[in-house]
Formats: sequence, structure tokens, C-alpha cells
Amino acid sequence: MIEVRDLRVRYGGRLVADVPELDVGAGECVAIVGESGSGKSTTLLSLLGLTPDAEISGQVRVCGVEVLTASPRRLREIRGARVALVMQSPQAALSPATRLGVLMRRALKLHGVGNGSAKGSAEIMAEAVAAVMLDPEILTRYPHEVSGGQAQRFALALAIALGAEVILADEPTSALDVTVQAEVVGVLRRLRAERGLALLLVSHDLALVSTIADRVLVMKDGAVVESGPAARVLAEPRHPYTRELLEAVLSVPGASL
Amino acid sequence: MTAGKDGVMASAEAVPLRRWLPRVPDRFAALGAVLLVLVVLSAILAPWLAPYPMGELRPLEQLRPPSGAHWFGTDQVGRDVFSQILYGGRTSLFIAVAVLGVSAVVGVTLGVVAGYAGGWLRDVIMRVTDVFLAFPALLLSLAMAVVLQPSVNTVVLAIAVTWWPWYTRLAASMAASIATRSYVDAARCLGVPAPLIILRHVLPNSLTPVLVQLSLDAGGVILTSAALSYLGLGAQEPTAEWGLMVQQGQTLFTTNWWVVTFPGLAILVTAFAFNVLGEGLRNALDPRSGTARVVK
Amino acid sequence: MILRAERVTLGYGRRPVVHEVTLDITEGGVGLIGESGSGKTTLARAFLGLLTPMSGNIWYGDQTLKKADLRKFRKDVQPVFQAEALDPRMRIGTSIAEALPRGSRPGAKQRVAELLEQVGLDPGLAARRPHQLSGGQRQRVVIARALAVDPRLLILDEPTSALDVTVQARILDLLASLDAERLLITHNLAVVERLCRTSHVLFAGRVVESGPTRDLLANPAHPYTRALRDAVPRLGGPPPEATGRAEAVPAGTGCPFRLRCPLAVPECERAPEPRDVESRQVACHRAEDVLAGASGGPVT
Repeated sequence: MIEVRDLRVRYGGRLVADVPELDVGAGECVAIVGESGSGKSTTLLSLLGLTPDAEISGQVRVCGVEVLTASPRRLREIRGARVALVMQSPQAALSPATRLGVLMRRALKLHGVGNGSAKGSAEIMAEAVAAVMLDPEILTRYPHEVSGGQAQRFALALAIALGAEVILADEPTSALDVTVQAEVVGVLRRLRAERGLALLLVSHDLALVSTIADRVLVMKDGAVVESGPAARVLAEPRHPYTRELLEAVLSVPGASL
Repeated sequence: MTAGKDGVMASAEAVPLRRWLPRVPDRFAALGAVLLVLVVLSAILAPWLAPYPMGELRPLEQLRPPSGAHWFGTDQVGRDVFSQILYGGRTSLFIAVAVLGVSAVVGVTLGVVAGYAGGWLRDVIMRVTDVFLAFPALLLSLAMAVVLQPSVNTVVLAIAVTWWPWYTRLAASMAASIATRSYVDAARCLGVPAPLIILRHVLPNSLTPVLVQLSLDAGGVILTSAALSYLGLGAQEPTAEWGLMVQQGQTLFTTNWWVVTFPGLAILVTAFAFNVLGEGLRNALDPRSGTARVVK
Repeated sequence: MILRAERVTLGYGRRPVVHEVTLDITEGGVGLIGESGSGKTTLARAFLGLLTPMSGNIWYGDQTLKKADLRKFRKDVQPVFQAEALDPRMRIGTSIAEALPRGSRPGAKQRVAELLEQVGLDPGLAARRPHQLSGGQRQRVVIARALAVDPRLLILDEPTSALDVTVQARILDLLASLDAERLLITHNLAVVERLCRTSHVLFAGRVVESGPTRDLLANPAHPYTRALRDAVPRLGGPPPEATGRAEAVPAGTGCPFRLRCPLAVPECERAPEPRDVESRQVACHRAEDVLAGASGGPVT
């Protein structure tokens, strides 16, 4: 679903992200791990052509669309519908005076999902909300009336309703409490397993990533310093920086379960 | 969420700061600044720039249309309109500076105290402010100007009385938000006395929007003072003042357009310059306002 | 013991957010663990004398904070907030010098340099402004300023949660090396484990479990403590556990956790009093079952 070759993103001549290879297939989860300034978020945004000031070279194919050369119209087709972007605080992106249900219905209509029939879209909405384990009652609420975890799951429900095949998630849980984070991660895992969604996750949390990702890219100062299967990278890190990151992960005593 | 997908970026980390600043220097603001410098310079340098002394009457040269000798023509008593406008700028700018100076000092002082202190002190200050805001500004100025002798100082006083409450409100809301910042808490935990906290932390960090508001308001003050003068309640002869000039020339508009048009234009240009400069300042200083933040 | 909260109820306006909390700040570091809305920051503000309790008392030695000598208190107790706790317009040196006692101005520059060195920073940074420093450097400056008055107790409010993990590790080393006592407010269990011998878990404004940090995390006696611990992702471990309905709103009466609790029974309609169970104090009717590892049970 995502194929990246020799992606280089520059701002004013300065190389901020250099990714030689990044592939995410259907049903796969790949994580980009790094600290502030590593270029991980820039990489993610460039997959949707959302880095307007940047000079970009390389090849980026998302859902069969050559992102770097695609027309704005073609880009709009994949943005939002086939590829969903989930941000750290989705509430900020929700129009405050609109009920969530209305918002979702409008989005469906905009993208022509549900054939425009009220009944069709109602079914799709109910199904999507159930898939993220939210109470359907949430659709009657306004954005400020829901918690951060609910808002994040609503964002995922919206993605499902629009028929997303790829989810790009930028620190989707780092603004959430740990118990809520656990729920959102649970939902992400289910969507992947049951619907075959491709998931590209950007995170600073190596421990979190280790519980969900198949493959990991470790980025530092714009460069990919290590990549490989998650289990291998965590068990036998080859790059000193990966080792440093792993050592910095603090453990909590008490085996879970 | 649709908005999010189209790209309003919530993640500060990834997006270079550069993107949040205006991409090209704001051309309107630059234009405003240039105009303003011209206006201020011409007012300051009026005695040297003006081709004729202030208020010089030339009974033989009444109501001459614009020409090489009188660029903006002459008025009904033979004064050179161009020279009068240069001198009038001094009055108008003085009024703007004086009104805004008084309003800002009084308003901001009360505002930061109210905003930082909260509680009953805030309530008292804000109630008083509300009382002043409840009067229609122009009406209150009118009443004051009628009671007092019409003069430039009266205009300043009259407008300032109705103007300062806005600054109190602005400063109070800023100060209230600054007061919750952790650096203010940290200072309190160090036992720094409240007046010092206000002076060191709250005031400097509240000033940016005040500055923007000042430049946005300057045009309004000039318009208001012109209105008062136009109604005969402001500057009096022989002081040159734009509003007064418009008033004196109003009956001549159809026959001798230049007498009214040029001082009118001076008011308009100056007000416009202050306004676009203020807008530009606001966009430059507050990246969240305006359109600079939306990535398309 | 420098500070003690005794049946303290706190709130903004008339709405209490912390209910009758009793808590000693003992030696070896005290952790206050809670998620957003638990009231942990509100409690910290009360300990700092920034918020007056609606009822109950904060004891400073043998005096309540209302009657205590505030000048002495301010020298004894200092906060370490998150890295943004620096005035954006002030130079670093000025920010730190603000903490120095008045009248010590001549030696201020020297003292600022010493403090910067103590937290592992180049004294030359004194001339910079906060935005010119990295997050980790700013956090060190915040610590340096707190140390300026040589306090006996540091109240640390999420001191590392905005930092990168590798930076966090170094700041924790620094904090662990300081002489002052610590009250640490955080949602991060691993950080508590690192810095605090004793911990208190806060849920919906009430302390639900208190005891030695190690016991608390290794073998929780309150279902919420357990949910919290199991939600933390572990390197290479199984996916984090989501227990109960995390979004449920705690009710006004009865156990505040009962709507989320997988072990809730009808008895939980009655608010549990804190009681001693093994090494800790727990406010839960089923603490013994939790300790024994019970995971299911009738869900109300």
C-alpha cells in the first residue's frame, strides 16, 4: 500500500528526512521511531504531499498514486478517503460547533460514500463506530464533550467509514493517559487484523511500538539508522543509537499477566 | 477530522517554525509602515516642508484650485491647503498619541492588576470598566466636549475617557492567562511579591496584543477626533486640524472640491496606514491568527 | 517529614476535585501517581501553598500553612515544573537570579554560574533566552533555579514528560542525585519507580492505594493500580491491557472506580474506607482478591 524509494525531504537546502526504503503492505504495521527533530513526522507528512515548503525527491507511491507527481485532484482522492491521517490531538481538527454524527455524515457525502442515501450512510456509520468500540450515542455529542481517547477513536471510525485502506498515525496516543492509550492501541490492532488495514505509526515510544509493529525504522537527525523486523531490532540492536534508545526505556516492575 | 486531513497541523514538532510565519513579508503592512513614516515625517518637518507658514491668510488668493504655487489649492480665506494639511498632521498625530498613551497607561495598569489579582479586586475594576463601556463612546465624548471648552486637550480627554476600558479588558484577559503560566507560579513559590511579579512577568508578556491593538486603534482615534472637530467640538481656529478643515470646507464640496477632499484623504490614508500596520503586526506576532497557519 | 496533608479537600470555585486526602511527605521520595483529572496537580499546588484547601490542613512542621512563616516555607519547598516554566522573555541568568535572596546581587553572577554547572550546563548559557535552549537544557535550568534557595523539598510536577526518552533518562539521573527530598507528581509509573520509595495512587481526587512503590507496582492491591500498571506497554511484551470501560464517569457516591472495575460487586455502592492490607493502605472492598490475582467477577 505504501512504497517509498530514496525519499529525501529538504527545507531550505537542509536535509530533514532521508528514507531509502519504506514499504507497508496490507495488514502490516510499520513504525518509525525517533526523537524530536529526527524527521519521522516529516516523512509521514510527505506521504500525503503535506510538506508544501519542502523540496522533495524520490519515489512515493501510496495506494497506487505517485504522490510526488500527482495532480492536486488525484491527491485529494487518496487523502481522507483511502488514506487517513491520525494526529496527536484530533479534537483540535474537529469543528467545535458540529455534532460528531453530522460531521461524519458530511464527510461521507463529500467523498460519495454510501451512495448519498441516508439509510446507507447510517449503516456505514453505525458499523464504523462499533468497529472502534464506541457507544453510538457519541454521534450526538459535540467535540468538546468527548475525551481525548474517544476523539482519537472517532477519528479512526471516520477513517473506516470512508473506507480507508491505509492509516498514517503521528503519535496517536502520546497525549493520552496510559489506560486510554491501551484502548486505542487495542482498536488499532483489531482494525489491522480484521480489516487488513496498513498502518504506519510514528512514535517516540519504543516500548509501545514493540507491542504492535511488525517492522521498525529508527530515525535520527533525518537519517534511518536502523531498520528491520521489530523483534530483531529490539532483541539485537545493531546501531548504537538504537541501543541508547532501548536503554532509555524505563521498565515497570511486575510482570503483566 | 476532514480539516485535519487537509492539513491543519497540530504537531508542532515536525513543522518548521518558518512555515508559521508569513511566507512573503506582508506587503500591505509594509505599505502601511512606509505611509506612516511619510505622514509622521511630514508632520514633524512641517515648518520646513510647508511652502507657506501656518495659518497665513492670503485674501487675494481665495479658493484657488490646485496649481504649481498651491499644490492642493487654497481655502476660502486663502490659506494654502497643502501647508495646512502638513501642520494639521501634527495636531492629529498628537491627539492619537496622547489618547492612546493615556488609554494604554491607565487601561493596561488596571488591566494587569485585575487579571493577575482576580477575586474581588478584579470584579471592582471590571465593573467600573463596564460602566464606562456602557456609554456610547461618541456620545460621551460629545457631552464632555460640550461641557468643557472645545480644544485639542478636550478632544484628547474626551476620547481617552471612552477608550481606556478596551485596554483594561484586553490586558486583563491577557494577564489572567499569563497568571496561570508555570513561570508565574514558580516566581510565586520563590516569594516574589505580587507587584514585582506583575512588573517582571505579567506585564511584559501581556504587551504584544496591546501593541497590535494600539496601532489598530490609532486610525480610529484620528477618525473620532476628526468627527469631534467636524462637529465644532474639537480643535479651534487657528489650530490646523484635519477634521476642522473638512468641516470648514464642507459647504464648498460641490464648487471647490479640493478644500475638503485633501484633508479627507489625509485622514483616510493615515487611518488606513495604521490599520494595515496593525494587521500586519498581529499576523507577524501571533502565528495562530490569520491564514499563515493553514497548510494547503 | 516536612509537609503533611490532613483530610484536605481542594477545588476551584465550589467544585471539589480532591476529596479528603491525607498524605505524608516522607523520606526517600514520594510519588503521586494519577491520570489526567485525578487531581494530582491540584494537590501539588496545595503543597506549594498556591491553593488554599476548602477544608482540612496542610501541615508544615507543627504549624498549618496558613499560620506558618511563609518566607521560611518558600526557602524550604520549591517546585520543579515542566520545561516551559521559564519566562520566555527573560534571559536564563535573570530567571535564575530571581531566586537568589535579595541583597546577594554582587555575587549573583557567580552563583548563577555555579548553579548552572551543578545541573550540568555551560555557565555561558546564562545570557541566552529559553527558546534558544533545547527542552532538556530548559528542564535543567528549571531545576537550577529551584536549587538556588537550597530547598529541603522539591515538588516535581511531570518533570520529564515533555522530553525525549534519552533526555529523560539523563534528567532522572540528575534528579536522583540531588540531596533534597522529593514529591513527584506524574502519570509515568517507571519514573516513580526510579525516584520514589513510597507512592500514592490517585483516582478521581481520592487516594486509592498507598505504600512502598515496589510493592505497589509488583503486586497492586487496588484494581485501578493494577489497570494502570498493565496498561503500560513493555518492550517486546504483550500488547498493553485495556481493562474495564475506561471512559465511564465516576459516580458521586460509592467507590469512584466501580463503573470501570472488573471486580465490582454490589458492596461497592458503599464508599470503601482506606484500610491496611499487607504493606499498604487500600481503599477497596476486594483488595485481598486483587492481591490474590482475581481478574474477573461480576461487572455491574
